[in-house]
Amino acid sequence: MARMTFRLAVSVALALFSSCSRTGSDAPAETQPDTTRGSFSAAITEPAEIVTKSGVEMVFIPDGEFVMGSDKGNPDEAPAHKVKLGSFLIDQYEVTHEMFAKAQLPNPSHWQDHPKKPVERVRWRDAKLYCNERSLLEGLQPCYDEKTQGLVCNFEAGGYRLPTEAEWEYACRAGASGEYDFGPANKLREHSWFEENAQERTHPVGQKKPNRWGLHDMYGNVSEWCEDVYSPAYYKNSPSQDPRGPAAVGKDTKSTLRGGSWKSSANMCRATFRQGQRTGDADACFYTDFCGFRCVRRMAAEGLPKLRSQLKP
Amino acid sequence: MKRSFLYCCLITAAIAPGPNYAASEPGSLREQLKASPFKIVYESYVNDNWELFLMNADGSEPVNLTHTPKEHELYPQVSPDGAKICFVSDRGEGRETIRSLYYMDSDGKNRKKVTDSAREPFWGPDSKTIGYLPQEYSKFNVIDYSTKGMTFYDLATGQSQPHPNSGNLHHLYNPCFAPNGKWIAATVHAGMGVDHAILLIEAHGNKIINLKIPGCRPCLSPDGKQIAWGPGDHEIAAAPIDLDSEEPKVGQKRVRILDEKLKIYHVDWSPDSQFLSISRGPESEGDLSKPGTHHAACEIVGVYAKDWNLCAVSAQRDGVLDLNTAAAGDFLMLTTNRCSNKESAWIRPPRKEKE
Repeated sequence: MARMTFRLAVSVALALFSSCSRTGSDAPAETQPDTTRGSFSAAITEPAEIVTKSGVEMVFIPDGEFVMGSDKGNPDEAPAHKVKLGSFLIDQYEVTHEMFAKAQLPNPSHWQDHPKKPVERVRWRDAKLYCNERSLLEGLQPCYDEKTQGLVCNFEAGGYRLPTEAEWEYACRAGASGEYDFGPANKLREHSWFEENAQERTHPVGQKKPNRWGLHDMYGNVSEWCEDVYSPAYYKNSPSQDPRGPAAVGKDTKSTLRGGSWKSSANMCRATFRQGQRTGDADACFYTDFCGFRCVRRMAAEGLPKLRSQLKP
Repeated sequence: MKRSFLYCCLITAAIAPGPNYAASEPGSLREQLKASPFKIVYESYVNDNWELFLMNADGSEPVNLTHTPKEHELYPQVSPDGAKICFVSDRGEGRETIRSLYYMDSDGKNRKKVTDSAREPFWGPDSKTIGYLPQEYSKFNVIDYSTKGMTFYDLATGQSQPHPNSGNLHHLYNPCFAPNGKWIAATVHAGMGVDHAILLIEAHGNKIINLKIPGCRPCLSPDGKQIAWGPGDHEIAAAPIDLDSEEPKVGQKRVRILDEKLKIYHVDWSPDSQFLSISRGPESEGDLSKPGTHHAACEIVGVYAKDWNLCAVSAQRDGVLDLNTAAAGDFLMLTTNRCSNKESAWIRPPRKEKE
């Protein structure tokens, strides 16, 4: 992890340096902290770890293109197709009990023995409420309209929201094209809590190796809610730019979970594996103890200058 | 395998249907409730507002007890002597909602505030104390188990004091005092080291007993001999319990009320422990177009429950009653206006003071 941080820090530093060079005589002196901010947006081309205003560790994911899905997996993973995404920030870790408490939300988790364990048994709605609470904590415009039945998402708002499936998979793949970014499945134990090593429970986040972009527990621990409504056929006609999932259809709408969990087989931990899960919004007690989540935030070019001050030391 | 088969047979035999429930004729449930001295108070959503209504035990002559268009009254609980009703009242919307506790006379007069940011009040057996659950956080959340601790309010002094084990009570909901004053039954969800359970909490001590009956929302009978609860969304059960014991245990289910189509919730005993009232309606997640309501499972307090009504059944006979196949005389719809009628509570007519 330390090596990863160092590599990212170096790449950002190099990028900053090169961008300063490009600005020529207009570039302010390097010794003054604010001098490079104007050119930072052009410079940051690699994933970079930051710490948000409320103390949450996130990773900046630059815009890019990748092949989403797989023609070798389950039918709902096909067809593999090219997707372009704008840049965004994504939580480095799954949302934990202590983060949920900070947002003053009642913790529904089954395992409450460690504050850094990921929350589970989280309804889709509660995950979205958390996103809004975190936005408010940081003075950002909440993405979800709490006056609408399904908490409709405003993707243009600057606050936190659930990742789209495409964002989640792009971040999980971390530039790789195989089933796992780290290579063969026999290394999964090093990167993931899943049925073979989890001992039928969740574990504090960040104990396993991160993926190549510094994200922990993408393959296991808890499966993660995405913004998209689940449709097994969606890849057949999804847009190629920033896909956001199909429209909700009726009462029995399922939402998408991505990533494996403590109870998943290795196959279910693959980067392209998809699950449809009832949202739990109509259940007083939602017992699905492998449903967790992490947040994302859109990061358009105008927001990038502020990132520099938030870079993880 | 053989053993589990035998066990299944025994269970089935234990809950097999008793004699047919009475048809709608003299002596029928309707007639029994019509002759009953009891009344029932409940929450209902009318004219964009939650109000408390009072009706006769057979559902006749409903009367609005609150008439407060700017406040939303919910979750009525009746004192054992029948003289008073405590309830919650919501002001504001969404996360800014303030949920407060009040009590009033059972005719709706003399309303008094107990506290803010609290929920799920319940009466002490002497009718002089109201227990309640403080909100877990200052910020409102409609989820019922968003509570931390337990407090008792003394009506005579207006003073509150925490339960002796309050610091360890977390994520309780739907508490109910035992008539003998020894125990408080409640559900816990994701708290106190428990996944989900119905507990007996010592009223004046630290003892906590897991009753090991799956489900939620326990209600102890006024005669102190039975417990009713919801084992799932589509079942209400009643079983014997020995509340005078130091280690009370729940016996086998004596009564099972089933409804595979609609949800059934919020069971309450009549003061003579002979009848049960239930809320009943389809699954939904609320309707945010209605002021003062929230988005969650519709059985939760403050969530609009489309098409929900109240019904009553007899608790006198053992066996299974399937509400979708039962004869008309076996259960009685107490309300039919489908105005999110929930959380019924029976009222014993208060004894008049001697002149």
